[in-house]
Amino acid sequence: MNPELADLSRTLFSPVALGLFLVATLGYLYAMAVTKVAVPATDGGEAADVSGGSSGRTALRIATAAAVLGAIALAAHIVVRGMASGRMPLGNMFEFSTIMALTIVVAGLVVFQWRLHRPEVMGFLLLGTVLTMGAALLVYSEPGPLMPILSTAWRAIHVSAIVFAAGLFTVSFVFASLYLLRDTAERHLRASLPGGSVGAARAVDLGDVDDGLGTVPQRQSPDDDLSALDGQDMDGLEDEVNADYRSRMRAAINPYRLAAGTFVGTSAVAWVFWVTDGPTRFLSVTVTMVAASLVAWWFVPYLPSASTLDAMAYRTIAFAFPIWTFAVISGAIWAEQSWGRYW
Amino acid sequence: MSGPDGRLSATDTLPGVTKVDSAPPPQANPPVRRGPRRPKGPWSFVVASARMGWRWLTRMKTALIILGILGVITLLATVVPQEPNVAATVADWRSGEAGPGVVVSQVIDLFGLYDAYGSPLFLALLLLLFLSLTACLIPRIRAFARLARRGRPPLSRHLDSHPHHIAMQSPRRPDEVRADVTALLTRRRWRLRAATADGLGHDQVAAEKGIIAREGGSLVFHLSFYLLLVGIVAGQLLQFVGQVGVIEGQSVADTPAAYWNVEAGRWFEFDDHRGFNLQLDEFRVDWVRSLEFAGQPSLFEADVTVTEEDGSVRSDTIAGNVPMVVDDFKVHLLDWGYAPVLQVAVDGEVVWEGTQAAQGTDQGFFRTAIKVPAEDPDIGFQVGVYPYAPDNDDGVPNFTGAPWPDAPVAVVAMYEGDLALTSAQNVNILDTSRMELATTAFVRLGETVEVADGVEVSFPELRTWAGFQVSYRPTVPVLLAGALLLLVGLVPALYAYRRRLWVEVVADGDGGTLVTVAGRTFQRADAFGREFDELAGRIAEVADATPVATPRRHDADDTTATQRAATVSATAAPSGVGTRPDQPTDSASS
Ligand code: HEM
Repeated sequence: MNPELADLSRTLFSPVALGLFLVATLGYLYAMAVTKVAVPATDGGEAADVSGGSSGRTALRIATAAAVLGAIALAAHIVVRGMASGRMPLGNMFEFSTIMALTIVVAGLVVFQWRLHRPEVMGFLLLGTVLTMGAALLVYSEPGPLMPILSTAWRAIHVSAIVFAAGLFTVSFVFASLYLLRDTAERHLRASLPGGSVGAARAVDLGDVDDGLGTVPQRQSPDDDLSALDGQDMDGLEDEVNADYRSRMRAAINPYRLAAGTFVGTSAVAWVFWVTDGPTRFLSVTVTMVAASLVAWWFVPYLPSASTLDAMAYRTIAFAFPIWTFAVISGAIWAEQSWGRYW
Repeated sequence: MSGPDGRLSATDTLPGVTKVDSAPPPQANPPVRRGPRRPKGPWSFVVASARMGWRWLTRMKTALIILGILGVITLLATVVPQEPNVAATVADWRSGEAGPGVVVSQVIDLFGLYDAYGSPLFLALLLLLFLSLTACLIPRIRAFARLARRGRPPLSRHLDSHPHHIAMQSPRRPDEVRADVTALLTRRRWRLRAATADGLGHDQVAAEKGIIAREGGSLVFHLSFYLLLVGIVAGQLLQFVGQVGVIEGQSVADTPAAYWNVEAGRWFEFDDHRGFNLQLDEFRVDWVRSLEFAGQPSLFEADVTVTEEDGSVRSDTIAGNVPMVVDDFKVHLLDWGYAPVLQVAVDGEVVWEGTQAAQGTDQGFFRTAIKVPAEDPDIGFQVGVYPYAPDNDDGVPNFTGAPWPDAPVAVVAMYEGDLALTSAQNVNILDTSRMELATTAFVRLGETVEVADGVEVSFPELRTWAGFQVSYRPTVPVLLAGALLLLVGLVPALYAYRRRLWVEVVADGDGGTLVTVAGRTFQRADAFGREFDELAGRIAEVADATPVATPRRHDADDTTATQRAATVSATAAPSGVGTRPDQPTDSASS
């Protein structure tokens, strides 16, 4: 045990990494908000480039830098903490949550910002990172040694796979929640357009199915989101149309119902905090989630299209699910080896 | 035949075409068709209900609901203590001593949640789930087999009705282009149907890919659950798990009576015991010696010697994570404790002497009991051994609760009365219901203390015991195989996607060819979008073609939708779809 290293690791976690991620969150959200609300790019199509003038571009650059530096600081925190306790830093809830947070940022930067050119989703991924790190602080514990009963190769495999998958599931949780908001707004908007119908995402044309195989096609949005707006020549109309578009999108979702629903939904899990730590912790968790949902509501008009969010959520889950399955299996193998039980 | 842009226009008809998808497509959720005859008589109600029940059971939605309920039960089982694991905690919850109270406890009992995995609710749901799975897999496997053997994609009459399509112009002849494109698609392992081979007038190649991988993966994934089920159920029936503590230097035999605790499956017979003898030569345990992390062991291992029934002798070291395997039985080191050597003398005469495996407690002491029925009245002692209780300044032991044995002290409470030894008792617990507390004292290691008039307790030695779990789980390989199959099926089931491609080649009248490529996917639209673009590029390459008037995808879809709307309303479409231009799902391009 080395107290100086322990101190250093704490500083790297908070304020350094947490502060940088907060800056990055705000920067990304700002960049998204000042970006011109064009007709959203279609499923996995080309990048929605930041054409929102120089302030948006600057904000994006600052946010990216902050996110990269924060990720480095968080990785350094993990290494230093591991040195302080002389073991792999995968021993308790605090350490799991830290690595989950790092997974979210790195996956966001590498896959969604740099490979798929979707910087718009980064604001909410960083928000998820900050909240995960906040949750980690709730279960903070000093670096310490591990029971020898816990240290086997299978344990390392099991825990790192679980934590990695959990981080990716958090990413898909962010996409899926945003999808629900955006989809609601798009349906509302489409229903209010001339000739529009309800239903943003639905089954694809089954016109050629002839084999009686009961496959259920994945949902997709066939008419490329708001192509009807295209016909109205969006390009010609300026800010007022945008403002009108934004307010109509937000009007599709009742914020009070969203807040109440988020509160109830979060409570379904967070009641455990009330039992173990009292009402303060319960309320801080639920209220934070409600606040996050309202932020997401305000940003609905700037989000990528529902079909894009759907595809990104699917991708993330499809990647994480086999890893998680493998992790569960390796956990059973570990338990069988260590205790002669499967869990 | 073809419109000016080389594609078929919606109003064209193809003479003599039979294998084109001109029939209205099946709906995503076809309405349940009533049979021509409905059963009459007293049985009709029963038959109809059974049919309805079966239909309900074989729906994916039902499986999801059942799976969801099972998930909730599993989740609750992580919060509610489970009787098979921690019976004592459950008893405390039931009596209201711990947990949320008696009323909640009764609700928990009502749902059988103290033994979630053995509760009738859980087992019934599991049965339903597997019934549902079976009912749904049989037709799926049949359809899959048919498709895998003979399935070929249908030709398409309206290439521009598909979400992806692109037109290209090639200077080469149609049959050359077709041959090259066919070769390309074959190389990429697409299944093909060529219009020429079917005697159709039109030069179209239909291709399909991803059938086997996606559906096959999904089937393997779901079938692996049967293997897991067999492994778990047979494992429950065949398994044996027993726990036993062995004091250093002593030994224990693998016989049912020797274990403290036994959990044996119904098919595990007496003869299945291996009858080996396990001797604990040395037990080593150590901890992080700081009070902050008190109790975190850093060393935990046991040297043992095993004598099998055939006489072969083996010495080994069992550690926390390193079990020893004896004849398919696994021996784990799971528990430990102190075994104080204690002696009781009354009026100078030793009346009790022994070494018992004392049970560890959350308060950091190790509990055991001494029962001396030979006296009148009976005397008994509750003994708590504190391994590390150094004297503080005023000479009184400071009970730290730390586990290392640097200053062991035995706290003894002497009782007098009736030991009630006629009922079964735990050796480590004194039944004080009919006894009176006489006195308490503490005895340091190596001391002899006169606790009451003429009664002396000595504590000459502190030994340790190790707790072993002996387990036999013959279905582990089955479960591993099931888990492996599950993973092998899962990846293609999530990643592969079924998609179709159509390539049409039409002479443009100048010796060149108009090539139209169209595509549609059943899953993962984003992935197919990229694949289509890449494939179209490759096709353009092999055909030396250049795109003509490639419309932006929005526009393309828009025109398609408009055009389709016109077509649909012109041909008496099924009710309710003709007025919805962006709803291609239900309207056939007829
Ligand atoms: C947890 C992971 C699981 C996933 C991702 C999954 C996924 C799927 C998918 C994609 C289908 C195909 C739907 C279709 O094409 O019609 C399906 C069908 C089905 N699955 Fe699962 N499944 C899972 C677990 C299970 C389990 C554990 C069971 C039961 C033991 C089960 C029972 C069924 C049933 C009964 C169907 C309905 C088949 C049909 O209606 O055609 N599933 N599942």
